[in-house]
Amino acid sequence: MKKHLLLSAIAVISLISCNNEATTVNTLESMKTPQMENFNKAFKSLGDPQNRPTEEEKQRNTSELSDRRKALLVPASKELILSTGVTEAELTRKTGGDMSQTIVWATQIYMQKSDEIRKNLKSEK
Amino acid sequence: MKKFLLLLGICAVSSAYAQGGTLIIQNLTTNYDFHGNIYANNNTGGGCYPIVTSKDPDPIIVPAGVTAKYENYRDQYFSSGFPVSTWNVYLGAGSPVSPRPWNHGSLVPGGIISNNTKWSMSKFQMYHAGTSVPETYFNGDIGGTAAPCNTAPDVVTTAWGSAKWFTITSGTDVYTYLIIQ
Repeated sequence: MKKHLLLSAIAVISLISCNNEATTVNTLESMKTPQMENFNKAFKSLGDPQNRPTEEEKQRNTSELSDRRKALLVPASKELILSTGVTEAELTRKTGGDMSQTIVWATQIYMQKSDEIRKNLKSEK
Repeated sequence: MKKFLLLLGICAVSSAYAQGGTLIIQNLTTNYDFHGNIYANNNTGGGCYPIVTSKDPDPIIVPAGVTAKYENYRDQYFSSGFPVSTWNVYLGAGSPVSPRPWNHGSLVPGGIISNNTKWSMSKFQMYHAGTSVPETYFNGDIGGTAAPCNTAPDVVTTAWGSAKWFTITSGTDVYTYLIIQ
């Protein structure tokens, strides 16, 4: 009898655990923070018709993103930086309002966060 | 010896030139894996040489929705989620290919190849996520457009998705972005 109870307990526990398994299958996509998603969206928006390079921008012999298009990445970059606990004042002081510096900083944060997510996913498996 | 002199010459021409920063590959698609090789070359002298290309893995695979980063030929080996263990180095037109490991002296930051090359382009083919089935026409060569060495377009547009390539320079830090969406 004891054995039966034990067995059924194990069965129940393993059923529950299997059930949890299914509901906690996390993907990189689902673990991205809203700020990370907005950062992705901003980069995507560079492909919108009104945001594509103008004829003049195409003529430049450089791959550097134009200031007009950098400006499209700044709000999401700021949002991502602030989400780490950095204050507006620190952000302004560190970047001096420089768009490139802001975007590069946000990119570093993005990579750090996605590395963390990737490591967590790996350790779950 | 000649080659060595040539290399020395290249360095003299471009002494203030270092493997400028990080390459970011953002695969923003939801249903395609990126399969591609990445290239770097000299764009200021030496007839566009040396050229460095990713050799192992061949190709690099960045899954749908994932971003990969390559700081430089060496450090990416530990910091990238999709590291390259061997690079192919081409020193000049007609010279044999020289496969070199990620920690080869010429490839480390400050090394002679590292100092004289920049991320320049990628040849890629998109595959249906998690499969070995290519999306036949979602592919291309894409890269920086700074003449004269970089000739691939900086935008690839197909019916299945598009890709773009650009840099953002912050001080001496050059971030190169390849975005696929």
